[in-house]
Amino acid sequence: MKRSVSTPGRAGTLFALLAVLTLLLVACAPAAAPTDTPAEPAAETPAESPAEPAASGPSGTLRVAFQPIVATDPGLISSDSEVFVANHVFDYLVDVDPQSNIAPRLATDWTISEDGLTYTFTLAEGVTFHDGSPFSAADVVYTFDRLRDPDGGLATASLYGDIASIEATGDLEVTFTLTAANPFFLYDLSDNHALIIKAGAADPGDFNGTGPFKVVSYTPEDRIVLEANPAYFQAGKPGLAGLEVIFFADDQAMVDALRGGQVDLVLRMSTALFESLKTEAGITTLDIPTNGFDLVRLRADRAPGNDPRVIQALKLATDRTAIWQLVQQGYGAVGNDSPVGPLYGPYHDPAIVPVVRDVNAARALLEEWAAETGGDPALNLVLHVPDSGGRPDLAAVLQQQWAEAGIVVEISVEPESVYYGDNGWLEVDLGITGWGSRPYPQFYFTQMLASDGEWNEAHWSDAEVDALIATAGSTLNEAERVDAYRQLQSILASRGPVIIPYYFAQFGAISEAFLGFEMKAFAGRTDVSGVTLAP
Amino acid sequence: MRQHSIVRRLLADPASALGAAIVALFVLAAVFGPALTPFDPNQSIYESVRVPPSAQHWFGTDHLARDVFSRVLAGARSALLLAGGGTLVAVLFGTAIGLVSGFRGGWLDEVLMRFFDALLSLPALLLALLLLGTLRAAYGESVSAIGRGLGVFLVLAVVYTPIVARVVRSVALGVRGRAWVEAARLQGERLPRILLREILPAALPALAVEAALRFSYAIFLISSLGFLGVGVQPPNPDWGLMVNEGRRNLSQVPWAMWAPAVTIAVVVVGANLLADGLKRALMERDLQREKDA
Amino acid sequence: MSAPLLELRRLSVAYGGLTALREIDLSLQTGETLGLVGESGSGKTTLALAVMGYLPPEGRVTGGEIRLAGRDLAAATRAELRAIWGIELALVPQDPFTSLNPALKIGAQLAEGLRLHRGLTRAEAQARAIESLREVRLPDAERLAAAYPHQLSGGQQQRVLLALALSARPRLLVLDEPTTALDVTTEATVLDLVRDLLAETGAAALYVSHNLGVVAGRTQRTAVLYASELVEDAPTAELFQRPLHPYTRGLLDSLPRPGQRRAAQPLAGMAGRIPPLNDLPPGCVFAPRCPLANEQCHAERPPLEEAQPGHRVRCHRWPEILAGTADPAQPLTATAPALARAAEPLLQLEDVTVAYPLRRTLAEVLAGQPRPAVQAVAGVDLQLGKGRTLGIVGESGSGKTSLARAIVGLAPHSGGEIHLLDLALPPDVQQRARPLLAQLQMVFQNPEEALNPYLTIGESLSRPLVNLLGLRGPALAARINELLEAVRLPAEYAARRPGQLSGGEKQRVAIARAFAARPELLVADEPVSALDVSVQASILNLLHRLQDEQGAATIFISHDIAVVAYLADDVAVMYLGRLMQTGPAAALFKPPHHPYTEALLAAIPGGGAAGVRLAGEIPSALHPPSGCPFHTRCPHSLGELCETETPPWQATANGKQIFCHIPPADLLALQPRPEARP
Repeated sequence: MKRSVSTPGRAGTLFALLAVLTLLLVACAPAAAPTDTPAEPAAETPAESPAEPAASGPSGTLRVAFQPIVATDPGLISSDSEVFVANHVFDYLVDVDPQSNIAPRLATDWTISEDGLTYTFTLAEGVTFHDGSPFSAADVVYTFDRLRDPDGGLATASLYGDIASIEATGDLEVTFTLTAANPFFLYDLSDNHALIIKAGAADPGDFNGTGPFKVVSYTPEDRIVLEANPAYFQAGKPGLAGLEVIFFADDQAMVDALRGGQVDLVLRMSTALFESLKTEAGITTLDIPTNGFDLVRLRADRAPGNDPRVIQALKLATDRTAIWQLVQQGYGAVGNDSPVGPLYGPYHDPAIVPVVRDVNAARALLEEWAAETGGDPALNLVLHVPDSGGRPDLAAVLQQQWAEAGIVVEISVEPESVYYGDNGWLEVDLGITGWGSRPYPQFYFTQMLASDGEWNEAHWSDAEVDALIATAGSTLNEAERVDAYRQLQSILASRGPVIIPYYFAQFGAISEAFLGFEMKAFAGRTDVSGVTLAP
Repeated sequence: MRQHSIVRRLLADPASALGAAIVALFVLAAVFGPALTPFDPNQSIYESVRVPPSAQHWFGTDHLARDVFSRVLAGARSALLLAGGGTLVAVLFGTAIGLVSGFRGGWLDEVLMRFFDALLSLPALLLALLLLGTLRAAYGESVSAIGRGLGVFLVLAVVYTPIVARVVRSVALGVRGRAWVEAARLQGERLPRILLREILPAALPALAVEAALRFSYAIFLISSLGFLGVGVQPPNPDWGLMVNEGRRNLSQVPWAMWAPAVTIAVVVVGANLLADGLKRALMERDLQREKDA
Repeated sequence: MSAPLLELRRLSVAYGGLTALREIDLSLQTGETLGLVGESGSGKTTLALAVMGYLPPEGRVTGGEIRLAGRDLAAATRAELRAIWGIELALVPQDPFTSLNPALKIGAQLAEGLRLHRGLTRAEAQARAIESLREVRLPDAERLAAAYPHQLSGGQQQRVLLALALSARPRLLVLDEPTTALDVTTEATVLDLVRDLLAETGAAALYVSHNLGVVAGRTQRTAVLYASELVEDAPTAELFQRPLHPYTRGLLDSLPRPGQRRAAQPLAGMAGRIPPLNDLPPGCVFAPRCPLANEQCHAERPPLEEAQPGHRVRCHRWPEILAGTADPAQPLTATAPALARAAEPLLQLEDVTVAYPLRRTLAEVLAGQPRPAVQAVAGVDLQLGKGRTLGIVGESGSGKTSLARAIVGLAPHSGGEIHLLDLALPPDVQQRARPLLAQLQMVFQNPEEALNPYLTIGESLSRPLVNLLGLRGPALAARINELLEAVRLPAEYAARRPGQLSGGEKQRVAIARAFAARPELLVADEPVSALDVSVQASILNLLHRLQDEQGAATIFISHDIAVVAYLADDVAVMYLGRLMQTGPAAALFKPPHHPYTEALLAAIPGGGAAGVRLAGEIPSALHPPSGCPFHTRCPHSLGELCETETPPWQATANGKQIFCHIPPADLLALQPRPEARP
């Protein structure tokens, strides 16, 4: 009897135990990627994986771990991995180098008219598409006409709204005419989508580019296999016989695959994973600072953010260095509440820094404000945070730091789809938003900080700022622009309704079997055509 | 006398005694834990970032330099309040519905039970996610931490009420035809008294076991919700949330994940052992009563 | 005398530290049938199991020998026992429902045993299996062999078990209460069959039963067990005529006999109850309940002595009993002569129908088919006068319980009317006002379920007093004490819970509760059938005393026609939801009877084995037979008339009403006069 009494109960305990173990397993191995671990032969370890070096021509295959791609049409791509694949199948007219300088690609040279309205490009000779057809100016015209077509439904239409006309002024010469001077026009031409496709291509997504690699096979959600384009117009490129992009769902799985020798290169991963790879033998880790940042902002068009004392108090209550050390573990750079980061060379003035932390001063300001307006000195706001990257951690540390100044915030961590959905992020009072790295800072100002900015999430409207943004965006005088950016930086540090506690680092890790790898701040634009197999 | 003998029977079995001890420790931690934490559970200790377990930090510190032991201890209260409270509400509602449904029978019973069947055919976690999603859609994201806690509370009640109701109903269904219940009807007892005095006592052993079992699963469910990021909000020291945060930083601070994970496992298994023991003790007591008779 | 087939020598068996059998000496000759009688807890089942070698793991033979044809079974190994089982020794177990493997066809179960024990081939075993089914008088043996146990009725299953036991021609058959799970009419036929089969096969039998009546006509010798002791062992006829042990005498006196009427002769119940095994009295185990017990009895265990040739008894005072100088009869409770009461009608039933609706399938609902219903009670007309006792008899399935429940409102009647005095009763108990509820109370069959186990006795008794009489405070407490006293329970029982009471005590409380609100009508549904024989009589007597004292009318329901005839003023016989016969109890045993009544009377255990036996089972109430519902089993069926026409009610000369086509005069000629009984 006793035994039969206890049996079902024991089974219950066993079930509970199993359930808990499942939770642990889920926790330990969250990287259950929908894509299978690449079915590479086990023998093909990184040391042996590169194919036998050939006397002539490139050798070796680089296997890159990335998120699965969905879009293959250059006009529609958006994610890191989509841009990465497209950047190796197609070419840009002009490129941006790792130092954010404009570099030639299909255009070997160009001239700009005195008034800054006419750009004339000379195109490389002997370039062919992967289908064998020759490349000419018509392809460039076709590509940009498609991208700027207001009825084409592409996101680039507004970006290229200032183009008056594009003409093939020769077989290998293209002339762009603008409606107004745009000092960043070359950067605009190097927009992620601006990859040159064949004129009249029936399907721009079928990988018929001029790029250094040709697509051999594409298995959605598994991998895309590329081989060197022997007819590539740049001498000595590509340096590899093959390139494979293998898809993974999350960074833990990618790093595991790198450790296990199933992939050779991982771009973008969490700080913790990057740290763990630093001691791994046979793997080279790289980190570079970027212009990307997390933006903490308070709506400035209504209480409490409409009073400069409240904004000042938040700035006083924040210890940016401590946050950077804790959340970013000291990678990247400490922030200064301005989108003009240290990578922007002369635009960035290292001498302009926000106020030093002073919780008593912050508290005093809030009490003064509260006494005057009848507001709550604790503010009692909800801090909305998307559940990606280090943003929930940033929120947790901010909550602590602000609490010392008597400021109370509730954290609401939300899935990105919820945070950005229905433009909710533009409505809330207090939020944290991640901004990716851009090659020039004007974008942040026009989109994020100008009164009429599309994503002016702080609802800030400052005439002085608007004027400075307009100047920086239109002047052809570089010194004037530098001055405008430095003034903006100063204003933001002192009274902007934003806190930028740090600039991200970009992490990468590659097998030591490869040489010549250089990473870009935007991982997707990282170009591996110059990478070679170590001898 | 009755209680005493149940407690004695319970403690006589080593496994049940262990379960009782774990649950007792858990309740103590929930009551006194927040006052006993060696460090503020939500405060970064900037000089001790990601330190492994040591004499000063028993479970180490996490990626944000918070003392993991303090967080685990502080997390006991929300686990107990949410799991215990949710279970209590489910037990109250489930008992009421189960008693009426089982005693009345007929179409009411039919409708209620089919509805519960439908609810129960969904896995608890899925149902919980569904409900929380609906709550979010209805009340938006700007609900406060208390609101979120209430949501979890409500979800537990909704998820577990059908289970409790079915258990009570099956007992009520078996008991309502018993002569003593029929005798009560003949003696002019009113419905509430019949339900509470004639039928409920028969359901108490099953109910006690079910409550203990639900409680253990509630802890697990809350942790799962926290792990999935839809339950309690950070930086609250919720165990499931801690496991999830720890998971992201597993390669650097494994102790920050293992401490709450093992704690969940121990408490869930402890509550389960207690439920087992309770069932055994109650059944043995009933057997003993029959022998005495 | 040849060496006995089975011989128990000073056999003792213990469960853990508890003695279950104490130094039993008993022997059984080849071909002899020995009855083993005792109440639950006497050790009779333990004895049967010990002989079989089937003792449960905690049971152990602690002394003595069990010799089967000279071999000691107590010392036999498991393997040796296995060689004996089925061949020399076979068991017919108590419960046919749990003894057959539900997943195996009947034929296969029989054949398996035969192949195992007799080494027959598959085909031979199958043939022999069907043959053995025929031997136990099962018609259509081939079809039954291919059936699963659940497709058989209880009586058929019990026959299969008999066939199983007898198929290997054992020398000794142990029957452990083989018919307790069966209906009375089925029981009688099975018992007759067992007797005939034993005679045919020449097997000896050990017949274990709690029912003296069952043993009476079917065994040569009877042994009586009480609290682990063998107290008496004698030829059956002698035991019944001249019991020497006071316990045996008490058992016999507890049996109501056909024709005995309570007004003339109350039943003698035994005081107290059987002692638990962990608390056996030091002297004679029966001493605490024995009216003759003296100091010696309490101090000294009596030896088992041969008082007469073949008649052994374990009692210090048997010489006096034998000589007639001591009377071991239990003292009778004095009862006032029944008051003559006016036959003013209290309860009137007109064309009462109780139907239990069945579920329809979805297809049936969609097809608009009417909801099918089982008619548990169909068109019953009855009258009951104030203070009178109406007995209702019938087998299970006859609708007698449904009728009782319809009267109290627990099974709402779906047709007809029930009047209490001038008031038409609402069908559902929930619609009945509290003053009305006070008028109608019920005593339930199973005392184990009659009381809420979670309330104290006092709380249980207080509920009707509070609800129906509005008593509070000291008046309430006083009335509870009064009620306990009325049912002869000490006042301190008010604080106890049902778990601490015996079955008889619980039923006393249930009766007290039923009488608490001073009802006009009490419905008692088999109030003693779940109790031990020795307790039954005292409960029945209690019921009557209270009924007489309070002047309540009673409806008494039982499957035991002897008990009903003893208690009731009037008796109604039910079959398949209909009344078959009504009439004064005094005339019950005198023909003419309805043929169904005749069968019931013939089936009374100990009432003589002669008479009609019913074939087959009760038909399904869902599809009752046309014409006379009894025609499918009636021994006197007139054929087409009975099959098609509803019978008329016919009056007999001795005041009965009979629902039958056969004229009473013809019935009188067909039916035997009851034999005179000692």
